Amino acid sequence: MKKIILITVLMVGSLFAQVSKPIEVPYIAYTIKKAKGVDTLQANCLMCHSFGYVINQGAQPRLFWDKKVDKMITHFKAPITKADKKTIVDYLFKNYGNGKLK
Amino acid sequence: MKRRDFFKTSIVASAAILGSNLSAGTTHLPKMNRKVSEIPFPEKRAMITYSDRPPLLEAPRSIFTRGITENDQFFVRWHLPDIPTQIDLDSYTIKVSGLVEKELNVTLKELKNDYEQVEVTAVLQCGGNSRSAFTPIPGGIQWGSGAMGCAKWKGVRLSDILNRAGLKKNAHWIGFNGLDKPAYFKTPDFVRELELTELDENVIIAYQMNDEDLPYLNGFPLRLVLPGYYSDSWVKMLSNITVTDKYQPLFFMDKGYRIADNKTEGETPKHLAKKTKPITTMDVKSIIGYPEENMKVYHNSELVVRGVAFDDGTGIDKVMVSTDEGKTWDEALLKQENGRYSFTEFRFGFKPTKYGTVKIMAKAINRLGVAQRFAKDIPWNRGGYKYNGIDVVTVKVV
Ligand code: HEC
Repeated sequence: MKKIILITVLMVGSLFAQVSKPIEVPYIAYTIKKAKGVDTLQANCLMCHSFGYVINQGAQPRLFWDKKVDKMITHFKAPITKADKKTIVDYLFKNYGNGKLK
Repeated sequence: MKRRDFFKTSIVASAAILGSNLSAGTTHLPKMNRKVSEIPFPEKRAMITYSDRPPLLEAPRSIFTRGITENDQFFVRWHLPDIPTQIDLDSYTIKVSGLVEKELNVTLKELKNDYEQVEVTAVLQCGGNSRSAFTPIPGGIQWGSGAMGCAKWKGVRLSDILNRAGLKKNAHWIGFNGLDKPAYFKTPDFVRELELTELDENVIIAYQMNDEDLPYLNGFPLRLVLPGYYSDSWVKMLSNITVTDKYQPLFFMDKGYRIADNKTEGETPKHLAKKTKPITTMDVKSIIGYPEENMKVYHNSELVVRGVAFDDGTGIDKVMVSTDEGKTWDEALLKQENGRYSFTEFRFGFKPTKYGTVKIMAKAINRLGVAQRFAKDIPWNRGGYKYNGIDVVTVKVV
């Protein structure tokens, strides 16, 4: 009897919770460097993805970061003001830059 | 050397470096040394973790000794962060609409009971797999070579569903959308469009992977399976199929997953190709799963090099292995038991007779005679797509 019950459970349900209660995806803190402008990134860059995306790019020229933030604004419609954009690019170049302008 | 001579040569050398960085774009081996994270994601073992929101998980090299990738080590790639965390299996449907005679709302029960059930073993590989091979870095996640896997998929044929809905005469494009949503209402949704002519009998809507339910992170409860194609169109949590006569301009179709539309599919950072095309089918590729970078192996020991090879379904003919910097190549033994869309396993016996560093290289050749090239000969492209260079692992013979 027990066996039969087990089989039906396996057939109807899935192994896990996503069918009966929400599944939980762990939160990972991808920390970025604490420096001038970090608050502006905190406010503008976490809406759509984690900082993992930023750290993963490695050290890059200023133009790279400028274009990246532009991509977020034009293609993905990130609501970022001109002033914030400058603060963000300055921050990224200073902390995740390779010293080259382009 | 005189001091002045030294200056001269170093100027020339740095000009060469600058030149290659700024104008040409170079290709090298991808980064394969990233560590798995300490935190495992739901239904997964710990993997290389690029992001939690949306989840981006890469498999470590060591899993590519096997022809089937375990579900709990299968890579994960989502574009948009708002992924439903709960699925009601009774009310879940795929809606088929647009240029059809009869709109359908197919439930999971109907899918499993009212249609012929089919299986296909196929490789799923991100178009940007191995992207870290390109300099300067192209947009996107800097994957090593673990954004791929091979599984046995079970589900129903897309064509059976489309036939039941009945395509109208002018039907030409099929759009696929899943339940994942952007976090911001203005960000474009991730929708894929394929031409009807691209969709053959092998395309299925799968609910099982390796005889288990799809893992949540791999698209539970349903995803599209397009054998031979890069994974950008294997839509996860598939919910809508829309048939149209005209191509609908979409950001992720028009800008993402495209490559230079020329013979070499290459371009340079300074001279980007004007015309681009979707990445579509996969190029021939192989990966060494064992040994791994910097491993120590004993002199005169019997080392078995193992890995996997695949292409777009043309089929792997040979995998050649070199242990002398590519001067000579020997044929590896192949195991092909899961059909032409799957990983071919290869193994190669190697007895290291010289002490020191040895480079082990693997090169796959498909049935049309198309062979992998060295990394440096793969043209750079702005999206960092389709890298398929000869794999190289360096070991120390002690
Ligand atoms: C409105 C949503 C949104 C906001 C806000 C946003 N991004 Fe993005 N970003 C995206 C999307 C969508 C992608 C592509 C996701 C994918 O394909 O995985 C992306 C990708 C990236 C990447 C990866 C490289 C690439 O070209 O795909 C970087 C780096 C990045 N974002 C940086 C930033 C920074 C820095 C900020 C803050 C200034 C920011 N993003 C804010 C939506 C956003």
